[in-house]
Amino acid sequence: MSHSTSSKTITVALIGNPNTGKSTLFNALSGARQQVGNYPGVTVEKKQGRLRIDQQDFTLVDLPGSYSLAPRSPDEMISVDVLLGRRDDVAPIDVILCIVDSSNLERNLYLVSQVLEFERPTVLALNMQDVAREKGVLIDVEALRNRLQIPVVEIQANRGKGIEALKQTLAQAAHQEPARPESPFPEAFQEEVAFLERVAREHSRDLPRYLVERLLLDTGGYLEPILDRDVDQGIHEAIQEARTRLQKAGCPAPGVEAMARYGWVSKMLDGVASRPSIHRTTWSDRIDKVLTHWAWGTIAFVLVMLAMFQSVFYIAEPASFMIEKLNGWLAGVAESVTAEGALRSLLVNGVIEGVGGVLVFLPQIFMLFFFIAILEDCGYMARAAYLMDRVMSRVGLSGKSFIPLLSSFACAIPGVMAARVIENPRDRLVTILVAPLMSCSARLPVYTLMIAAFIPDIPLFGLRFFRLPGATMFGMYFLGIATAVVVVFILKKTILPGQAPPFVMELPTYKLPSARMVLHRMLDRGFAFVRRAGTLIFAVTVVVWAIAYFPHHESQISPGLLAKRSELQHRIESLENSDAPSAETLLALAAKEKSAVEAKIAGEYLKTSYLGAAGQFIEPAVKPLGWDWRIGCATIASFPAREVVIATLGVIYNLGEDETDAESTSLQQTLRDAKWDGSDRPVFTIPTALSVMVFFALCAQCAATLATIRRETNSYRWPIFTFVYMTSLAYLGSLATFQIGTWWLAG
Amino acid sequence: MIPLQLLTAGASGRVTQLMGGVEEVRRMEELGLRAGAAVEMVQGGNPCIIRLAGNKVCFRRTDALHVLVEESQ
Repeated sequence: MSHSTSSKTITVALIGNPNTGKSTLFNALSGARQQVGNYPGVTVEKKQGRLRIDQQDFTLVDLPGSYSLAPRSPDEMISVDVLLGRRDDVAPIDVILCIVDSSNLERNLYLVSQVLEFERPTVLALNMQDVAREKGVLIDVEALRNRLQIPVVEIQANRGKGIEALKQTLAQAAHQEPARPESPFPEAFQEEVAFLERVAREHSRDLPRYLVERLLLDTGGYLEPILDRDVDQGIHEAIQEARTRLQKAGCPAPGVEAMARYGWVSKMLDGVASRPSIHRTTWSDRIDKVLTHWAWGTIAFVLVMLAMFQSVFYIAEPASFMIEKLNGWLAGVAESVTAEGALRSLLVNGVIEGVGGVLVFLPQIFMLFFFIAILEDCGYMARAAYLMDRVMSRVGLSGKSFIPLLSSFACAIPGVMAARVIENPRDRLVTILVAPLMSCSARLPVYTLMIAAFIPDIPLFGLRFFRLPGATMFGMYFLGIATAVVVVFILKKTILPGQAPPFVMELPTYKLPSARMVLHRMLDRGFAFVRRAGTLIFAVTVVVWAIAYFPHHESQISPGLLAKRSELQHRIESLENSDAPSAETLLALAAKEKSAVEAKIAGEYLKTSYLGAAGQFIEPAVKPLGWDWRIGCATIASFPAREVVIATLGVIYNLGEDETDAESTSLQQTLRDAKWDGSDRPVFTIPTALSVMVFFALCAQCAATLATIRRETNSYRWPIFTFVYMTSLAYLGSLATFQIGTWWLAG
Repeated sequence: MIPLQLLTAGASGRVTQLMGGVEEVRRMEELGLRAGAAVEMVQGGNPCIIRLAGNKVCFRRTDALHVLVEESQ
């Protein structure tokens, strides 16, 4: 296979420790020609790029950043399987490209020593020369090449330096014999590996040597699934025997691995790389003096977060506004080209509103990804996680949960996906389960509408800038966070108990963020969101439209209204043909009256639709929350996607479609004027408004998030659990808010 | 021999022993925190920041893992 002809595509696997610039190198090599997907059944991103070197096609397979190739989960098994050519969905690997951080070869070569055991042609890329130089690390590259006996190329991936040389080396390496290094392991261990290889063959099992080695070292039993419990009983027993002998020989599994590999690393680096015995203070250290300081660091953290959220909302707002306008225009076009009826309603209220409902949040989500990418790329995110760890460890999580929860303020879907960075499975699950409690951007319109309509604009504590509406908004965000803390605490005490695992995280050297990398990450994650959320939100919006539209028969409407409509229609037609001087004014009046009647008809259609029937059916259950059947209706409609609530409230309170958005004063006025059926009592009081907000803050009203949780946990159990616990909390929270609020106002 | 977190800021030492579950110890070793590694305490507290082979690493102690070091003079 190593002598591949030039007609065949050469497959290169890219591997390296985290924080070595692996993604930057991947982008520098493959440019825009990338394919991103997922390995089935696991939560590992499958990323492949294409490149051409001297008329030869290459496929570059990006493997997840890792410190070691000792798999402990199906996710970690992917890299090993890809490198061994055991996966059907990835071509066998011809060349392994291993990228290392030059300033920390001691640790990076640990992975290299594992990679070399795959016996493929291997190329080593020495990245981050600048950091190494600043730290005073000296590397004799020629000597390293001789020691390792593989091609070694110096690169500076973020500046594009050395990329050409690396490409040439890759092209040559494909035609070279693979590296056959001496094993780092002691004699006794190698003998046991050879013994096990024989046993495996006797059981007609063709296991690659690397896997045999791993089986011997895998005392945790993570690799057991590759063996068959019944058929491979013999191999299993042989492994146990071998471990006992190794124990006696003084090289116990798994401890022998670290000993052997670090021994090999220091042999390779002896006289080849050196670092000053006293650490030189770098720029990074000076910045850290402030940013990780308990007081200054915390202040800086709060400022960074405030600045980020402010900019996300301010910068994204005009874009969202434009998208809304565009939706309105599209709806207008659709209305003009279709006749009144189900098709028009589907296009306008189902399709355009459904797609628009997703698109409107895109600017905010892209902006948040943009800022997160900057913070990650410059190295600040690890410091933020360090600062937050003090807080998070009190409730049993670690600082690593910070980024997923932060992303969830834009949208829980990328937040749930970002939880992949947490290695501890229990912590990861807990983080996923509480991520939807963070107030995402889809809740914002509900808060905005309720606050603008019902929360009086009065200063608090006599402060001019601290006013009740702002405090209420803050309170809603705080409610989500506080509830998450309690939920984490309870989950950790009950169904997901366990000690907090040791928290260890690298604090990478600060660097200027690269515009290319930041944009790339923003677009990558943003479009991943569009693909995953877009299709589902769109589909459920159409379903909601259908239950709110049908049966749609004229018999549902009171005859008086229908008569009024046709009477107005006649009046308008006759006025249009009239030459009377007052005709124009009368026409305008009639048109206004007609649109009010149309709105009432739309309201009656909704009231008698399947959705309306459901709303009336649940009214007894939502009455204690201070809601009438209309709010119940709008809430049911918003279960698949919460942003739908605004539009539904508009229709159900007989307001024309085009006048309905969160900032629209007419919707606010309509809600203020809404009365309980058959009485003069207003529906909305301050406790009711608060109760609606609390419900939306806590409820799991997002089918796309639940679908993402299902995918990421690979089980239906956890999305169901999330839905049940959040909906129960929402109901109870809302009930308490309304009852206490009413009692307090009365007292 | 003292626990790692007892090093004062600026002090250095050499790791002598990792005590804890097999898997925890293995993860630490792969990250470079292993017997024989030189460490320097950059900032105390919990989590603390240590320097390990020229890189900064933040580390929170738990009951699941104890890192013992020999302080160098």
